[in-house]
Amino acid sequence: MSVTNLILVTLLLTFLYFVFGRQKAFAVAKTSGGLQGMHSLPSHYGAYVAVWCALPALAIIVGWKLFEPTVIDSMLASSIPDSVHELGEKSVALYRNEINNAVDSNNIASLTDPVKQATATRLASLQNSAMLGLFVLVLCTVIALGVFALKRITPDMTARHRVESVVRSFLFISATIAILTTVGIVLSVLFESLRFFSQVNLIDFVTGLNWSPQTAIRADQVGSTGAFGAIPLFTGTLLISFIAMLVAVPFGLMSAIYLAEYATPRVRAIVKPLLEMLAGIPTVVYGVFAALTVAPLIKDIGSAVGLSVASESALAAGLVMGIMIIPFVSSLSDDVITAVPQSMRDGSFGLGATHSETIRKVVIPAALPGIVGGILLAVSRAIGETMIVVMAAGLAANLTANPLEAVTTVTVQIVTLLTGDQEFDSTKTLAAFALGLMLFVITLVLNVIALYVVRRYREQYE
Amino acid sequence: MSSAAEKAFEELKETVGRVTVDNPKMQAKNVDVFYGDKQAIFDVTCDIGKNEVIAMIGPSGCGKSTFLRCMNRMNDTIPSCRVGGDILLEGDSLYSSSVDPVMLRARVGMVFQKPNPFAKSIYDNVAYGPRIHGLANNRAELDDIVESSLQRAGLFDEVKDRLNAPGTSLSGGQQQRLCIARTIAVNPEVILMDEPCSALDPIATARIEELIDELRENYAIAIVTHSMQQAARVSQRTAYFHLGKLVEVGETKTIFTNPTHELTENYITGRFG
Ligand SMILES: Nc1ncnc2c1ncn2[C@@H]1O[C@H](COP(=O)(O)OP(=O)(O)O)[C@@H](O)[C@H]1O
Ligand SMILES: [Mg+2]
Repeated sequence: MSVTNLILVTLLLTFLYFVFGRQKAFAVAKTSGGLQGMHSLPSHYGAYVAVWCALPALAIIVGWKLFEPTVIDSMLASSIPDSVHELGEKSVALYRNEINNAVDSNNIASLTDPVKQATATRLASLQNSAMLGLFVLVLCTVIALGVFALKRITPDMTARHRVESVVRSFLFISATIAILTTVGIVLSVLFESLRFFSQVNLIDFVTGLNWSPQTAIRADQVGSTGAFGAIPLFTGTLLISFIAMLVAVPFGLMSAIYLAEYATPRVRAIVKPLLEMLAGIPTVVYGVFAALTVAPLIKDIGSAVGLSVASESALAAGLVMGIMIIPFVSSLSDDVITAVPQSMRDGSFGLGATHSETIRKVVIPAALPGIVGGILLAVSRAIGETMIVVMAAGLAANLTANPLEAVTTVTVQIVTLLTGDQEFDSTKTLAAFALGLMLFVITLVLNVIALYVVRRYREQYE
Repeated sequence: MSSAAEKAFEELKETVGRVTVDNPKMQAKNVDVFYGDKQAIFDVTCDIGKNEVIAMIGPSGCGKSTFLRCMNRMNDTIPSCRVGGDILLEGDSLYSSSVDPVMLRARVGMVFQKPNPFAKSIYDNVAYGPRIHGLANNRAELDDIVESSLQRAGLFDEVKDRLNAPGTSLSGGQQQRLCIARTIAVNPEVILMDEPCSALDPIATARIEELIDELRENYAIAIVTHSMQQAARVSQRTAYFHLGKLVEVGETKTIFTNPTHELTENYITGRFG
């Protein structure tokens, strides 16, 4: 007996009731002047009965399982020896843990202490009877509700509308779950950040020029005072994103124009998927490429012309990230350029414009909102990108605009703050949440601006 | 089509009526058009006179648009399209290798079935052609061109306060007049119009018909239309197309009151089409 089995049985019964409901509907139809006289189709009545069975049963199972542990725990408390209770909360928890493990792994005999064995046996029997109770309750409910719902099948019953409203609620709940998850993430990040800002001044964080998050673990440690000025991280992120956009926007836009305006259908059918494949390459592969191929290459070229280039440089990370982002720009731009009506191009040709004049002065301006949207999307992608920069941009929080130096980014620091042995509520760990929050706010603002720009433009030319 | 009419079409060897005029602006000579292997126009010969409006009528799919688009080589933008025969503008062939189709389209302008203003302001829509052809030396000259084009298209008074509003914010009829203004602005010699009123209401249509009549003073105009009343109102000559052949050409009055060919008569009297 397990919950899985119980759910399977419930579903099976539900299916049977669906069939019964359908048959009942046919039977009712026969005695009341045919199917035309019925408000809904027989399968609607079947679904109506099925919903009546399944939904309450599933609700009972979920509710039961939510409360079962608490109830069992309190019932078990009496069979935990007083000697353990006297040792305090922690020992009780440990004791319970041991018993639970033994019961869960079906191995009560492994407990050597007879008192513990007794407790474990009691727990096992409690769990068994709980399961049995649940089984009986659910099956009775399903059967009873099914019979009840079958009784309600009459020609006037609006089964179709009722089933649809259940479906609608399901869709609504699904949408809500996605939104609630997002809200949950935002809230948890927000609260952890608030804890961080109770230790580090917000102004210092946002305006500080020095980032060195090593806090002293022992009081007598030297040199690890901890400085949480986020400016170097954000300039690093901006520098790398800027370099990436310098690569992605021209190449992406130009390949989109080529694909949409000049490529023959055959070339387009080959090139477009190839280009989009760039977006499917795992970012860690790009990271390897950036760190092992591009960065040394830049360093070699740099030293050949007499520039000093760090072995991990913003330039290497930015260039490779730009290549990764090309398909974001090109694919979206290609779509919007193709969507510009042919009649507009004809109008331009008809006035004696060449193809390239038509593209530059008519097609691109008309497609601009979509293009801007694509670019902003690419920017937020660049800002959030982690793997490439972890591998190729370095860890040094240099405050610099020189693309040949190593820089670090917000995402890289979040990774380094959370990897390694750290107490979960140390300032250093909390700093990761604060950085995450800032990152989130920035991408959010970018997206809002993108939407605003696009909408303004649409309104203008609708 | 009745079997008698079908027979008449099979037997059609030569266009009925006088295809030439004394004072031609454009001359189409034995024009054939193919889309891939499919022939859409069969051996059409027809002149367009100076200061004349010629209406092209006929059932859907008979090749009116195709023929019209040969006259400014718009068909060049369709890869599968081939044109045979020859078309002359002021005696010079459009299809000789020395002619640049792009420059040609500035001399032979086109107004399309659906108003297709650019995603730009009213001013920039009209200024587009003059700008790409360098017709204005400075902003003041450009302003003049825009104003006079809008004036001649009968739109200026309606839009003079909002030249910077987007062209797409105008009503359908205004948009079509904007497209006409845009065409006039590059100072063409011929204007081709492909069902310019089919997307417009009767009042906007009447406005454009008036305009076409005024434009005749300065341009040769070929207009494709589905409305016989419109053809009768605006044109001096009418050409009737059927399944890719030019069946009959003549004075508009004659065509509508006393057509010679059976097919033309059938169409005019509404027996098919
Ligand atoms: N781009 C094209 N490719 C292939 N066939 C075409 C194309 N345009 C038009 N046609 C064909 O050529 C014939 C004439 O079309 P069209 O000139 O548009 O007729 P009309 O304007 O008189 O309605 C039709 O049979 C149509 O299917
Ligand atoms: Mg047509």
